[in-house]
Amino acid sequence: MQTFQPQTTSRLDDIKHLRDIFNAQNSKELKVAFDALNPSFTISEEDLEVQFNRYFVGPMETVADPFASVYLDNPDVFMSKSTLHVRDLYETMGFSYSLKNVIPEDHLGVELDAYYQLLFLEEAKEITYLSDLRHYFLHEHLALWIPRFLERGLAQSEKDAPAITFILQQLKSLLIRETTTTRSS
Amino acid sequence: MSYSKEKVESILNNGISRRSFLKGLAASGVLSSLPGGILQANEDLNTKIPYLGQKNYQTFRNACPRNCYDTCSIKTYVKDGVMQFIEGATESTYTRGGCCVKGNSYVKRVYSARRLKFPMMQVGGKGSGNWKRVSWDYAMETIAKKLLEMKKEDGTLLGAALTKYSGNFGITHYGVEGMFNSIGYTTRLAGTPCWPAGIDAQNLDMGDMWCNDPEEMKDSKFIILWGVNPASNSVHSMKYIYEAKSKGAKVVVIDPVFTEAASKASQYIQIKTGTDGLLALGMAKIIIDANLHDQKWLDANSKGYKEYKAYLDKEIKLDNVSKITGIPLAMIKELALSFVKAKPATIWMGYGMQRHTNGGSMIRAIDALVAVSGNIGKYAGGARYGHLSTWGFNYAALSQTKPEGSVGYTGPEGAKGEFAQVGGEKAAYTDRFLNINKTARELLNAKEPKVRLLWVACKNVFSQDFDRNQLIRAFQQLDLVVVADQFFNETVKWADIVLPVATQFEEYDVNVSYWHYWLSLNEQAIKPLFEVKSDVEIAALLSKHMNKLEAGSCTFPQSVDTKAMTIKEFNPGIYEQFGIKSWEELKNGSVKAKAVIPYADGKFKTPSGKFEFYSDKALELFGSALPTYLEVRKPYDKFRMTSPHSRWSLHSQFQNLEWMEDMHPEPYVYINPDDAEAKMVKEGDTVAVFNKQGLLRVKAKVTDNVQAGTVLMYEQWYNNNIYNVNELVDDTSSDMGAFKTGAPGVALHDTFVNFRKL
Ligand code: SF4
Repeated sequence: MQTFQPQTTSRLDDIKHLRDIFNAQNSKELKVAFDALNPSFTISEEDLEVQFNRYFVGPMETVADPFASVYLDNPDVFMSKSTLHVRDLYETMGFSYSLKNVIPEDHLGVELDAYYQLLFLEEAKEITYLSDLRHYFLHEHLALWIPRFLERGLAQSEKDAPAITFILQQLKSLLIRETTTTRSS
Repeated sequence: MSYSKEKVESILNNGISRRSFLKGLAASGVLSSLPGGILQANEDLNTKIPYLGQKNYQTFRNACPRNCYDTCSIKTYVKDGVMQFIEGATESTYTRGGCCVKGNSYVKRVYSARRLKFPMMQVGGKGSGNWKRVSWDYAMETIAKKLLEMKKEDGTLLGAALTKYSGNFGITHYGVEGMFNSIGYTTRLAGTPCWPAGIDAQNLDMGDMWCNDPEEMKDSKFIILWGVNPASNSVHSMKYIYEAKSKGAKVVVIDPVFTEAASKASQYIQIKTGTDGLLALGMAKIIIDANLHDQKWLDANSKGYKEYKAYLDKEIKLDNVSKITGIPLAMIKELALSFVKAKPATIWMGYGMQRHTNGGSMIRAIDALVAVSGNIGKYAGGARYGHLSTWGFNYAALSQTKPEGSVGYTGPEGAKGEFAQVGGEKAAYTDRFLNINKTARELLNAKEPKVRLLWVACKNVFSQDFDRNQLIRAFQQLDLVVVADQFFNETVKWADIVLPVATQFEEYDVNVSYWHYWLSLNEQAIKPLFEVKSDVEIAALLSKHMNKLEAGSCTFPQSVDTKAMTIKEFNPGIYEQFGIKSWEELKNGSVKAKAVIPYADGKFKTPSGKFEFYSDKALELFGSALPTYLEVRKPYDKFRMTSPHSRWSLHSQFQNLEWMEDMHPEPYVYINPDDAEAKMVKEGDTVAVFNKQGLLRVKAKVTDNVQAGTVLMYEQWYNNNIYNVNELVDDTSSDMGAFKTGAPGVALHDTFVNFRKL
């Protein structure tokens, strides 16, 4: 069993790499994003993708679907209430989404992208206009479903897929970090 | 800075504050500062007031294309590009605003988290479970390369086989066959596992399979539901049956199983399985002996009545009929006489009864009974089985020419399946046909060339075909198995490439029924999710890649849009039959074909032009000119096993959806209390059901809905369960089917098993 060192990369970079992992369209993109998250973990491109698909993509029943609605509304269906709520949020945040009605807005990769961009505004551009919305998105949405997603994924990955455990652990620390250090109310 | 849930929610939910927030957003420089990812800055800020409960839906016309009598006309409600709910369209008096439990779950089916989303390849070998995402281009190029390589090596494309059946009966889906037509002469798994014995029987008797409009049943005075369970499997037909009953008609269900329809009937007659033909012959004899037959109609419209009557006189002994069918003679007499006295009277024959080694002969015997009673060619009468009389489309997607110089099969020709038979001149070559009901064996045995590539569409081979172990062997020896589907199932498990297919809500199409007379447009109501494509789009993409690699190697159009493809299926004949001027009228709701009573003019499409009790063709093909009594298959094990459809699924479709899993989560074996007691099995026990074919472990339900000596297990696939009743079914053929559909049917209900408590 490999052990993982806590990452020292920046908050923004971590989110971006995780986002890229969940948005990867092929093994190459997946591996590049994965390596960026942890260059020292050795796994072949193909093995990584095969495991990733088994957990999050299919075609077989996945271990943990990366869609919020599956955890918040109905375990079998997406494009439901939570998806449309997130759609509304993105519109208010000023985002347009070219994959609207193609890939549900509550897909983890899309949500991480939204979160990344909002944080980028605050951290890199020092614009706080959307900060309320980011906090809302984090506390009232991401923090409600991602822990359940992590629980489902980790329960299995700790048995058979260290690379997936690594990804999920990174996501977990990110969520803990964001929810415990950035809330100011 | 503080974060307030209430504040944010008020921005989100209140049009005015949202608008002012967005105005501020535009002014704050946010949009130009976003780094950009999947989500882009929305320069054209959407200040629409969010949804607050108004019913501002867009509606679309759809149809249920699954293999179901009802072929419902559907109205789909969409908001902001998302399907919200569906309802049965009210314009169709048949659907009349309702769908069944399966149809009502369509939104959940379309947005099921289990949908196949991307084209994928199994990289660790078939069954390994190691899947890699590939682009459509990569998938299609791989397939195209393989096809061209096979053609070069074998000199033909007969090594490429297609198996497609009833997962989607939309007309443009014959584009899958079109795709195979367009690459050359290929191998087809032909025939039908469903209804061929009855198709042959009706064609022998009447020259066609053609039934009266089911809506007329409301005016029938006597209805026999013979081996059919519409209360589960054609729910919309029940309203006509109820209406007839409320007006005083008698409704009798004859079935070995006490079905849902039986529970709604005036009378239920439990018949010994496989003896229905004898009952029909006995009833006809009683009617004729009582001189209540319609001699005038018979004289004018039938051939061979004399020989038929002589057969009944000589061979049919009523005491025997009673003994063999298990029905008291008085009850048979009462049934026969009350049936013939009621006018009009009708018999609906289901697809269960003909799934026996004597299935075709039983349908012929029932046709003859209806003829004798004078109910053929009459309003609200008829020997009902099914029809294809509204299926006269262009089959434009199907009709593709072969590439120049294509080389094909020169052996004996077979017929091509029951739907969409398109005539044509006799060519030097044909496609090669293998029996779909013996898929495993035929794939393994095909030689010169052997089958190397199999394309599966609209079909779940491992759920519907037989002999799972041989199927695995057959799949494993193939170089490339491509499965186009909407969900992961056991067939996908054994594929090399899986292609995600659109639902009917994501494409255009047109649908008609093999039972009622309505025509429905299927409009694209939503964008295709993820990377799914329709069957014809897949065909076009294959064509593009084949032509890129070798110009002229595929004649299918290289780009299609499903709407244009659908429009091409219409013709003046269809417009005339349905009384419309353009397909666009269907946007207002489905339309019904002009009423015709089959055979009312006394014209039959048989060689004699009459109803044929005596059929030379039947003599030539099946050794008996008359509808005679043929004994059912001899038992080879202790209990007979029947495997009907349940109301929760259509073959393997729908069963994996949450609602169905809630109601019907796992398979059972239904056992008569006497048999259960003898085997010391109690309700809920796990039992092994086994025979020479295989073994299944299932929980027992003890019920006298099934008769002693018979066990029942529903035909289907259950999610996350290796159960498949077909593992116990050998592929023994029914007596008929090869005449019209290319291969005999399967005698599914002539399966014998034993069981014991585990
Ligand atoms: S399965 Fe049959 S009854 Fe149900 S919606 Fe489809 S066509 Fe209608």
